[in-house]
Amino acid sequence: MSPTSADTLEKALEKNRYERVEKLLELGRELKRDKAGLIGVILITALVMMAVFAPMIAPHDPTDQDLTARLAPPVWYEKGTWNHMLGTDHLGRDVLSRTIHGARVSLWVGAAVVLLAGGFGVVMGLMAGYLGGRTDAFVMRWIDTQVAFPGLLLALIILAVIGPSLTTVVVVLALNGWMVYGRMTRSAVLSIRQSPYVEAAEVVGCRWPRVIFRHILPNLTSPLLTLAILEFARIVLAEAALSFLGLGIQPPATSWGLDVSMGKNYMFMAWWLVTIPGCAIAVTVLAINLVASWLRLISDPQEREKQFARHMAGAMRKKMQASIEKELKAP
Amino acid sequence: MKKYGRLLLAAVLMVAAFAGTAQADAQITIALGSEPTTLDPQIREDGGERAVNDNIYDTVLGRTPEGDLIPSLAVRMPELVDAQTWEVTLRSGITFHNGEPLNADAVVYSIKRVIDPEFNSEQISFFSTIKDARATGDLTLHVITDGPDPILPTRLYWLKVVPPKYSKDPKFAENPVGTGPYRFVTWQRGQHIDLVRNEDYWGPAPQITSVRYRFIEEPGTRLAGLMAGEFDLITNLLPEFTAHVPKSVNVLGLEHPIIILNADKGVTRDVRVRKALNYAVDKQALAKGLFEGFAQVAQGQLLSPSFFGYNDQVKAYPYDPDKARKLIQEAGAAGQTIELIGTSGRWLKDRDLVEAVADYWKKAGLDVKVRIFEFNEYLNRLFDRKTRADSIFVVSSNELLDADKSFSAYYKAGGVGASNTDETLADLIDAARSETDEQKRESLYHQAVELAHDQAYFVWLLNIEDIYGLSQRLVWPGRVDARLLVKEMRIQ
Repeated sequence: MSPTSADTLEKALEKNRYERVEKLLELGRELKRDKAGLIGVILITALVMMAVFAPMIAPHDPTDQDLTARLAPPVWYEKGTWNHMLGTDHLGRDVLSRTIHGARVSLWVGAAVVLLAGGFGVVMGLMAGYLGGRTDAFVMRWIDTQVAFPGLLLALIILAVIGPSLTTVVVVLALNGWMVYGRMTRSAVLSIRQSPYVEAAEVVGCRWPRVIFRHILPNLTSPLLTLAILEFARIVLAEAALSFLGLGIQPPATSWGLDVSMGKNYMFMAWWLVTIPGCAIAVTVLAINLVASWLRLISDPQEREKQFARHMAGAMRKKMQASIEKELKAP
Repeated sequence: MKKYGRLLLAAVLMVAAFAGTAQADAQITIALGSEPTTLDPQIREDGGERAVNDNIYDTVLGRTPEGDLIPSLAVRMPELVDAQTWEVTLRSGITFHNGEPLNADAVVYSIKRVIDPEFNSEQISFFSTIKDARATGDLTLHVITDGPDPILPTRLYWLKVVPPKYSKDPKFAENPVGTGPYRFVTWQRGQHIDLVRNEDYWGPAPQITSVRYRFIEEPGTRLAGLMAGEFDLITNLLPEFTAHVPKSVNVLGLEHPIIILNADKGVTRDVRVRKALNYAVDKQALAKGLFEGFAQVAQGQLLSPSFFGYNDQVKAYPYDPDKARKLIQEAGAAGQTIELIGTSGRWLKDRDLVEAVADYWKKAGLDVKVRIFEFNEYLNRLFDRKTRADSIFVVSSNELLDADKSFSAYYKAGGVGASNTDETLADLIDAARSETDEQKRESLYHQAVELAHDQAYFVWLLNIEDIYGLSQRLVWPGRVDARLLVKEMRIQ
């Protein structure tokens, strides 16, 4: 390798690195402009930190039971104590600690399933929509068949083969959830593939993987993000349903959804069993929504155009207002 | 708009329903957890079916609310003719709701129907020893067993008598006809079953004129319905809510949650470990805490004090966590893995119990691997005869109130849920099964109870009370056999 080529490589890398930093900074600036998105990012970071450092943050061992102090109310009630700030559950375990620890399973399952099911479903949908013909027919019939197949039965079969665990839950939920991505992607691809830029790419001679991944996929970002967020919330609850039946995570491990479904029986007299992990789910979904809507804004060229126009209109309005005021002030 | 229309209609109907109950004040509504799968009284082993049919049909023998056997359709208790033959004499003048006479032929027919292998009844385990029956007179019959069977009268307590002619009709399963205090009116699938008082009943006339059964799976919905005045009686009330409902009745029931320990393999093979697992669990706290006092500590046996064979010399292992830890250390089992299998949602607080026990065992120094399975998969593990898990949680329910049923299933080596191969114990149970002398039989069971207790083949937990929620106007003391007999209920 000649010194000049090494030099160029070095320079190219340097430039690449610089560009990446620049892009990140740009992202930061965009984020600062969008307050809601910023809040979302902060919340998600906090939740992930909470899950990672759960054993350090939680005041109690989440599995430590005390049958003499069951269903103790949160601290602001007369019978509440600071020892169990958010009360105890039906086995006398600390609700706050369980909620903090539950974040681990819930976030992990939600993210893993959305990634797995989403990834597979989108690729299938892209191929079906773009290639058409036999591929399309095959993929769509596959999806039809699987949608018709009861999910719980599939879960039972998998359970019998590999046994219940966190991995089983992820696999089962992903297997049951990819079809919706596939169908939606395919229908979006069908409308996009006639657009001029796709035709241009084809005329230039791009092969199909390049066309679908470089030219079509980026334009599907916003609907797919929306779907993924809706799915995330559903997955968190679906995990709870499976775990409750004994198909998912096994005690003493816990998750938000599982705590909600276990606490349901006691709702009439101990609302905190359901409400506190339920709030955790709600906050997570809200945070992801905020981030997603921000991501959608910055990833969609049309939205960016609109945003730019709004920005310009605002600036012009200000300018005009200032000039009018100036004129008014002037005698 | 359509939606609101429907809501309005529902509201109107509800008002109408309330008005209806107000007018005919001797009508009650009972909410059950599950809808009957059939109303043929002999084919299924189904709690919903039993709750309804216990009122339409009579059994040959009955029980007092406290559990003592009494004659019902029989005029007196069955008598032994020889070691394998029992003579039953029936009351005279009883007819089925459709006019067929109740006589020896009807009872013989009912016995032959339920034991017919082709009929394939799920209740066959209750009648497994009955070989044949034949009428010896219009109202007398002989029941023949395949060996001496001292608990045949108890089995006859389970025998509902069906009308010989009409029961061959295919409509029989939807349109039952019995001799009982209530007649069948309608069955709106998924909605309700209605019964009305049988004015020609041979026994004392019940006060309540008609009953409606509703099927509500969710315990919370049943509770809300009771609070709203929609129901007069709900089953399986959670102990936490007894203070919230108008009235509640609790009776020491037939259900015993226990944990079967594997005496042949794994960490539980060592009797010291099995004893430690008993010492480690605070049964008192489970009864007082988890069940809010609506359960009693099981006295080291799978029997309630009212069951035949109960040994009052045997007591529960006391709660002694230090001793448990020490025994586990001695056995060299500290830190070893023990698998605990359970299920969720089938029995009252089943999952909660498993989780609580697992935590006690963990504190005693074992690595507990809890496996909660979906019910069918759980049953596969419970009845798996080839590989027995270290420990399996089960709630045993003994409707015959006799040691034979629970012991043959869980104590005796080779029983459907047994995890030991103790020959001595199996011999005791076999001997008791065909021993006709009541005292000798009882002493055999006492020995079996003691042996199993000393060997700690199980972790005996509790004896759960059945809790019913009642409306303000309904009076009912409850029954030890958990039968919902409307003829014993009254309205104030």
